[in-house]
Amino acid sequence: MFERRLYHHIDWGLITAVAALCGLGLANIYSATGGWTGIVQTQISGIVLGTIALIVCLSLDYRSLADKSHFIYIAIVALLIYVLFFGAVRGGSRRWIDLGPVNLQPSEFAKAALALVLAKFFGESRRWSVTRVDLLIAGALTAVPVLIIARQPDLGTAVTLIPVALAIAYVAGMPMRLLGTLAVVGVLAAPVAWKFALQDYQKERVETFLNPEQDARGAGYQQIQARITVGSGGLWGKGFNEGTQGQLRFLPVAHNDFIFSVLAEEHGFAGVLVALGLYLFVILRALEAARLAKDRLGAYLVLGVLATFTFQVIYNITMSAGLAPVKGLTLPLMSYGGSSMIATLAGFGLILNVRMRRFTN
Amino acid sequence: MVVAFAALTIGFWYLQIVQGDRFAEMAENNHQRTLALRAPRGVLFDRNGKVMVESRNSYTISIVREHTKDLDRTMRLLAAVAGLNVEDVRQVVARHRSEPTYRPIVIVEDASLAQVAAITARRLDFELPDVVVEEVPTRQYPTDGLAAHLFGYVGEASDTQIGNGIAKGAIVGQSGIERVYNNLLQGQDGARRVVVNSMGREIRTLDESPPVEGRRVQLTIDYDLQKAAEDGFRHAGFNGAALIMDPRNGEVLTYVSLPAYDPNDFAAGIDRATWASLNSDALRPLQNRAIQGRYSPGSTFKIVVATAGLEEGIIDDDFRVNCGGGANFYGRFYRCHLAGGHGLMDVRHAMEKSCNVFFYTVGNMLGVDKIHKWAEKLGLTGKTGIDLPNEQESLVPSTEWKMRRFGEKWYAGETISVAIGQGQVSVTPASLALMMATVANGGTKVTPHLVRAVDEGSGWKMATPPAVANAVVFKPSTLAALHDGLWMVVNAAGTAGRARVPGRDVAGKTGTAQVISNEGRARARGTTRDLRDHGFFVFFAPKDNPELAGVIFGEHNEHGYLGGPIARHIIETYYAKKDGRPLPVLAPKPAPAPAPRETVPDPDSPPVLEDAAPVAAASLPAAGSRQPAELGTR
Repeated sequence: MFERRLYHHIDWGLITAVAALCGLGLANIYSATGGWTGIVQTQISGIVLGTIALIVCLSLDYRSLADKSHFIYIAIVALLIYVLFFGAVRGGSRRWIDLGPVNLQPSEFAKAALALVLAKFFGESRRWSVTRVDLLIAGALTAVPVLIIARQPDLGTAVTLIPVALAIAYVAGMPMRLLGTLAVVGVLAAPVAWKFALQDYQKERVETFLNPEQDARGAGYQQIQARITVGSGGLWGKGFNEGTQGQLRFLPVAHNDFIFSVLAEEHGFAGVLVALGLYLFVILRALEAARLAKDRLGAYLVLGVLATFTFQVIYNITMSAGLAPVKGLTLPLMSYGGSSMIATLAGFGLILNVRMRRFTN
Repeated sequence: MVVAFAALTIGFWYLQIVQGDRFAEMAENNHQRTLALRAPRGVLFDRNGKVMVESRNSYTISIVREHTKDLDRTMRLLAAVAGLNVEDVRQVVARHRSEPTYRPIVIVEDASLAQVAAITARRLDFELPDVVVEEVPTRQYPTDGLAAHLFGYVGEASDTQIGNGIAKGAIVGQSGIERVYNNLLQGQDGARRVVVNSMGREIRTLDESPPVEGRRVQLTIDYDLQKAAEDGFRHAGFNGAALIMDPRNGEVLTYVSLPAYDPNDFAAGIDRATWASLNSDALRPLQNRAIQGRYSPGSTFKIVVATAGLEEGIIDDDFRVNCGGGANFYGRFYRCHLAGGHGLMDVRHAMEKSCNVFFYTVGNMLGVDKIHKWAEKLGLTGKTGIDLPNEQESLVPSTEWKMRRFGEKWYAGETISVAIGQGQVSVTPASLALMMATVANGGTKVTPHLVRAVDEGSGWKMATPPAVANAVVFKPSTLAALHDGLWMVVNAAGTAGRARVPGRDVAGKTGTAQVISNEGRARARGTTRDLRDHGFFVFFAPKDNPELAGVIFGEHNEHGYLGGPIARHIIETYYAKKDGRPLPVLAPKPAPAPAPRETVPDPDSPPVLEDAAPVAAASLPAAGSRQPAELGTR
């Protein structure tokens, strides 16, 4: 299964960049939570487990994985439904399966599962163009986990599944016209969604984003504090462990959603450039894996995984500078979160897998 | 993709580089707090270096609203734990509503240890996270209210006092020495910059500029004499005022005004109930009688008339008046207090016996303007210039004054009552003390003052005494006659034998200040107001080269000579101290003797007149006077 020569095709550059980002995240979590805390330890075990997941995903041929993608997909949907009814409640939503010492967040794994099943669906198609029936099926495959996750409610994670579907459908030949139509429908649907679909707290977040000062103590607080945190970093930052905004808890959940703000505060614009550079390198390197992929399945798989990763990275970093509404979206590879780390590293395992096996039959 | 990252880069560049300074400042404001460290006020010493007023540490309990979620709950809980009225707490908080939320609102000043313990216990349980207990320096005055009106009191700066180095919430002197010398005593508040977390908890101190304690100030007051005077009043059983100074330089050795308040009540913020009771007290303990009470000086004013007559050359040692128990002036009969008359009186004996007829005659010969002139030279008009706030002006009438005040000419008949210190004469006890100092030192009107030395940080530096207001040199014959006459009042057959101190040649004069005219007294019968006369005893000692001069004012004590024993106790204390002997102790109050009034007629009693006085009570200078009812109206 794992041939020796494959070893030489592993993208060590990508692995190094990913590892650097994990290390960067760990350092900033250490600083934001005030030292050697349980949070840091959890993150380390997340990285260790994620590395194992990465190795597993790397070892199995992505094609055999794709062959079993419908089982994986069904298993994840089953877990999501289970969570909806029996999951552990935290912060008002049911997202976790309580496994004693570990809490599992199945929605994080839904991303990779969806990428697999959609890559398989479009990649095995014989035609070069997609039919409406194909799109409808793909849409349904996406909608099921999205709706379930949105019911938890975890709108942030639910939304991250959509780029997976759009990216794969797009490269699979979905007409631009349809993409445009979807965009128009989205814009038109926005007021309706505003009125009927969004929860009050969600509306508040959007309103607050548009005018944070109106509620400086309440919902706008995080956004203002995020800007202060980032802005006060200056060019070189306040230094490792010297940040005041994150350490003194002016910025809530600094180790989680706002880990990039902590980095910006302590390491300044210079640190931001390094981190952004690493992310850009990772994304471009992964895109290359898609380009080099031996088959459409591989390319689609890489793009699906990469789409959600990129979407999350860009959104989270924008938010951490107070430039986007606050959303419970983590920064992949850097934010605190075991499930997210494991799922992300597993995703990179798939990407590396595709690249590594570009010469195999 | 690359575009998105470029946009992000630009976004971060804008936030971190372009606006970095602004956000850095905001971050600093987030986690840094500057807390004021109240400076202890300067210690007040007496002239011998004994500590009179110092600072101690007390605890305040405050609410910091910055992170309060439910302020009302905090207030209710705090009130319950500290045993306060929740409405009072709400009012305090409401008063400070507009201040920055991180500034503590002081709810309890000088909290008891029980309160501190109760709060601290709750705070540890996170039940009262918004409540802080702080240690602050607080003024500590003598516990017996000693010299309260001299020291004054401190309080939170009022809106008009803010500025010029005084911040909102600062504690400043509001009365007495505390107010006049606030700049010296206040010191400089320090500041502590601390790091707080998002819950407002202090994490660590960044830097601290320690408060600078106020200057140490040495007063001219002698603690032992002050104590002797106040003991004397307590022993005698009446309220009043006393001011005793060194006639050679105007240093005030004793300053009493009774009843007093306890300045400690103010030191940590006075509560409303105490303030209200101080204000509504019929005895008016907030009135600083020695410089704010104005009374008719009665017979003590005869010293002015004698001085004027002798200095103006209108009378000499041999000038005599025959007292037959009264005399006619301008168609009215004015009585002397001794119905049978004193017989032939020269100036010395007239003072000794306080003979009204002699002084009617001399006053009539002088005219009111010459009396006024010499009253001014002796210090009986205007303010004495003592370094205490809100001194009232003493008044001795003149023709010019009456024209200005009432637009009427002066009637010569009015001078007759003025000559015995009645009519419109209205003076503060302090001005009478100054008069005695001037008479004692031979004509130099010193300015009474209270500060002897100030420690500006480099050891004691003697304060520059205020300039002498006015100096005349009395003719030796004038001085001899005045000193002899006043000596005889105490040491011969005069009215103030009770002030006699063997071997010390005390000289003095008694006087009675009528609270209400005889007719008024009849009308006011049945009211609860105290209508009994006030008594003055003015003195200096010894007769030659005097070292002490002053006044004992007894409120409603009816007889000036009752101040004599107080003066005697002070003088004895002074000499005991000077000679290094143990200080005298007042014997327990003796059983009340038969009322002296029944047996011995008081020579200072106001003369009974045939006719109504030419000046009616209604025409008194009510506008400039704080208590017209207490002016002598004869």
